[in-house]
Amino acid sequence: MSKTEKKVKREGFEPNILVFCCNWCSYAGADLAGVSRFQYPPNIRIIRVMCSGRVDPSFVLKALKNGADGVLVSGCHIGDCHYISGNEYTQERFERLHKILITQLGVDPKRVRLEWVSASEGKRFAEVITEFTNQIKELGPLKH
Amino acid sequence: MEGSVLVIGGGIAGIQISLDLTELGFKVYLVEKSPSIGGRMAQLDKTFPTLDCSLCILAPKMVEVYRNPNIELMTYHEVLHVDGEPGNFTAKILKKPRYIDESKCKGCGECSNKCPKIMAPNPFEMNIGRRKSVYIPFPQAVPPIYLIDSEMCLYLTKGICQVCKKACPADAIDFEQKSEEFEIKVGAVVVATGFEMPADQLSSRWGYRFENVVSALEYERILCASGPFGGHVVRLSDEQEPEVIAFVQCAGSRDLHENVPFCSSVCCTYTAKQAIITQEHSENSECYVFRHDIRAYGKNFYEFTQRAQEEYGVKYFQSKISTIKEDPDTKDLIIYYEDLKTGEFKDFRANLIVLASPLLPSKGVKELGNALGIELDKYNFFQENSYFDKLKSTRNGVFLCGFCQGPMDIPETVADSSGVAAQIAELLNSAKYTQIKEKIFEIPEKEVKLTDEPRIGVMVCHCGINIGNYVDIPRVMEYVKNLPNVVVCEANLYSCSSDSQIRIKELIAEYNLNRFIVASCTPRTHESLFQETCQEAGLNKYLFELVNIRDQCSWVHMTEKDAATNKAIDLIRMHVAKSKLLKPQKEDKIDITHTALIIGGGISGMTAALNTANQGFKTYLLEKENELGGNLRFLNVLYPVHKNALELLNETKEKIEKNNNIQVFLNGSIKNIKGYVGNYDVVLNDSDNKNHEIKVGTIIVATGGQEYKPKGLFGYNGKNKNVITQLELEQKLQNKDISWLDQINRITFILCVNARQNEGITYCSNICCANSVKNVRILKELKPELEIVMIYRDLQMAKKEFEEYYRERRKDAIFLRYDLDSLPEVKKKKGSTEKYQINVLDTNLKDNIEYETDLIVLATPMIPADNLKELAMMLKVPLDKNGFFLEAHVKLRPLDFATDGIFLCGCAQWPKNIQDSISQANGAAGRASRFLSADKITTSGLVAEVSEEKCIGCGKCEDVCPYKAIELIEIAKEFEDITIKVKKSNINAAVCKGCGTCAATCPVGAIMVKHYDFDQISTMIDSYLLEKEEVKN
Repeated sequence: MSKTEKKVKREGFEPNILVFCCNWCSYAGADLAGVSRFQYPPNIRIIRVMCSGRVDPSFVLKALKNGADGVLVSGCHIGDCHYISGNEYTQERFERLHKILITQLGVDPKRVRLEWVSASEGKRFAEVITEFTNQIKELGPLKH
Repeated sequence: MEGSVLVIGGGIAGIQISLDLTELGFKVYLVEKSPSIGGRMAQLDKTFPTLDCSLCILAPKMVEVYRNPNIELMTYHEVLHVDGEPGNFTAKILKKPRYIDESKCKGCGECSNKCPKIMAPNPFEMNIGRRKSVYIPFPQAVPPIYLIDSEMCLYLTKGICQVCKKACPADAIDFEQKSEEFEIKVGAVVVATGFEMPADQLSSRWGYRFENVVSALEYERILCASGPFGGHVVRLSDEQEPEVIAFVQCAGSRDLHENVPFCSSVCCTYTAKQAIITQEHSENSECYVFRHDIRAYGKNFYEFTQRAQEEYGVKYFQSKISTIKEDPDTKDLIIYYEDLKTGEFKDFRANLIVLASPLLPSKGVKELGNALGIELDKYNFFQENSYFDKLKSTRNGVFLCGFCQGPMDIPETVADSSGVAAQIAELLNSAKYTQIKEKIFEIPEKEVKLTDEPRIGVMVCHCGINIGNYVDIPRVMEYVKNLPNVVVCEANLYSCSSDSQIRIKELIAEYNLNRFIVASCTPRTHESLFQETCQEAGLNKYLFELVNIRDQCSWVHMTEKDAATNKAIDLIRMHVAKSKLLKPQKEDKIDITHTALIIGGGISGMTAALNTANQGFKTYLLEKENELGGNLRFLNVLYPVHKNALELLNETKEKIEKNNNIQVFLNGSIKNIKGYVGNYDVVLNDSDNKNHEIKVGTIIVATGGQEYKPKGLFGYNGKNKNVITQLELEQKLQNKDISWLDQINRITFILCVNARQNEGITYCSNICCANSVKNVRILKELKPELEIVMIYRDLQMAKKEFEEYYRERRKDAIFLRYDLDSLPEVKKKKGSTEKYQINVLDTNLKDNIEYETDLIVLATPMIPADNLKELAMMLKVPLDKNGFFLEAHVKLRPLDFATDGIFLCGCAQWPKNIQDSISQANGAAGRASRFLSADKITTSGLVAEVSEEKCIGCGKCEDVCPYKAIELIEIAKEFEDITIKVKKSNINAAVCKGCGTCAATCPVGAIMVKHYDFDQISTMIDSYLLEKEEVKN
């Protein structure tokens, strides 16, 4: 498949989005999106971890404090975690983190998302990133 | 004796055997006739019953095979001939021409991009998807090397074109390539050629010739997200979403007219899977299954089929189909069938039909059989040496594995793979490690201290044009060169090529680098390649980082060069920041005790013990009763070959007694187990009531099962002499005295007693149906005038032998079918002799049948052995909801526990017959002896570690660790003149898998995860956001 090169004019607000991907599922799903050439907006930067259970809520808070407009944590589907139950703890922490975001920090919880992507869901990874990026664009830059 | 093995077939069986064999000390030649390994499993969308994505669980194994220095992968090769003796075979191999130089091709795909658009059906896509003349069978193919179809290629057929040759940046196209023949010497041969689904061989009544009738494997490709329709469920005639989909089971199998007298064994479960996935993909579709018997006998399979109906609303019709026709206007299909519930003849309109058509041995098995000198059975599966030794072919030294021997599912295939590896390890024991390459690094590792100034080298890869055309590499280089601590930055065309490895080593030496970064593709495939290069240059492999600027950058932002370049810059900067905080890590080698403990002395335990002992490892065999044998002691003859059970038992016991490597403990029990893989301290007790302390390296659990006693059901109460269970019948038949039959004229078997229920015992116990059918013949042989009635729900006569076995017995008994919602009634009759009145609603005749019987035999399920909870807790392994042991992964690791070093087999895992128990026992021995065969075990460097200072002993980390690698231990802390005991968390590095869940759970941040430490990740976040470049227009 050949793609004609054209410059996409970038106008308006371009968000900074940090994404955490677990090595076994979501990072592999992101790779598959690449192998299959599913395009998505270039606003994300991925940090690879071995398990989504590694993601400390303070990473998310640090990212928001430093200027990220959105943070996405992704891992294996529940029940499929390579380390058996790591993603279950991610889910628990995430629910608590959302409460802190809303009540204590006044940050729109839509800016921090948890998404399960399996290693075969290349297309879905691209769709999730596209949708999330558009959502953050709508929300605008995170004001401090 | 050669320390190498030829494995023929690169599906899951061949892949698993190859990996196990290298860990047992053997070099492997893996020959696969198609251009990629992966086999049928690579074509599946999801696997039952876990609904794992098939390729996701397979691909890591495929990459492992590709990277393993002791596996010589020969795809697009065939085996022509094998001569010789076990230990010394000579095999002649044919290498077919790809017309592409394998050493140069990087899998970039430019050739295929430029190839003229003349498409051919792609067999990987079951001919629904198409491909060009130069192609790769699927994106994740291993090896990732293209090939040219010589029958389609314009140059090879007509002498024109050659566009690919001009397009290839690696100059890999070679039209002059010829096929080659060569010889290899090996100690053993394994056949793992799998199966095919040639639905076009079916007779016309199944309608396969109609466009919207597809085989199940074709439907898998339709379902698959990476298939020809991107996972959209559409039908072939108009690519519209079908609203009504009919799944036809038994479409040709079990059918003498179709010449397939056996049961394909996996269709009932995969049909449920396909229906479930269909419902998940499209809410608009309605799924209907036209079924015969439901043969879902494997672990959790029957509940899976029930789930399809209860949770997903899939409707099942008990039916017999006469024919399938097409409506020429709509291309819909009409199924003409008999509804067996109501007795009516109906027709059913479907938009799409999926046929569970027969699964047959692969093409070419007859020729391969000749080439190897091994026999085929009457179905063209490979003939096993004997029924209870099914892993061996009819020729010594040639083994069989997987579907090529007979229909089986993936868990059984994987278990058998390990079993074959174990038997080869026995055969070629003296040749272990003679051909294994242990990697030796010539340059000693240089010392890198944390206080040393980081000196970072960066290599930015063009990957041909894959990165180069979409990312402004000169701009990236300009930026990266100026980053603090980056000493050198170079770009090249293909960083993974062998000349690039030389260049990397030169750079490390010339610039005295203590960190190295490659910005190219994905660490998931290439990290270990570059890590090894670093090690060769004397740089610790954990001081290397790979930045993904292709799969996660250039390939997904192909029309936004500036943005993609900015992203690449950000990513490299983030990894440069992280690399400054990286520390060299050691991979510890730990000593192990080269002994095994087998818990359970039934047929499984004994078989496993014999294998590990014959491989030379001291083996302790612990049995709780006062004699070996388990349930085998109570059996009469074993189906379907009717071997005398006690004969098999005594043969096996004799081998145990003669084996000097086996120490048996009878009346045994385990008092305590401490330790971890390679180093278990076990305290056990036996007949002389003394405590024995033993050290073992691995443990195999073979605790078996027991028969469920149906107290209160169908008159079974201990007082009624003539209501007995199957095992009680077996024991009666063991006895030479058959006088008890004198008063018996009619015997009734009731199957599925308290099995496959809606609650309680919801599973299928796998063995009961065949056992009852076996006893029909035994009883008729003893007393031909006996009348036998078999009351059943579904008959589990799967696998290759049982359909014909059952067919023969149909003339010896009356088979009546009942339903779960109308159980047979049993009433004891008044009178001097014990007789019973049976009342059963036969669903085939739709009539109540009332009759008298003298003896009732109840087929009850197998349940786990007693007191397993205690043992499970001692071993720190889990039990599933039915009380059987829970393995690490139902599909690909059926014999492993998640905890390293402990394995299971036999009925401890799931009810199974003697043949399967023996195979699994060999499998567990194979898995266990991988640890024992190595001198030491290498632990990963990337584990978690507790800072004793920071730890507050709360124990939260201990709770969350899935591997039980964390323990709170008491240490003595001194404060001036007082010593107090405090609790601190301690992580066992040998067991820890480095997931980091503990670190994120720790409330005080006391846990460090190597290579994914808090500081390391934080600095990446800071580097991304605090040092960002502005987006340039």
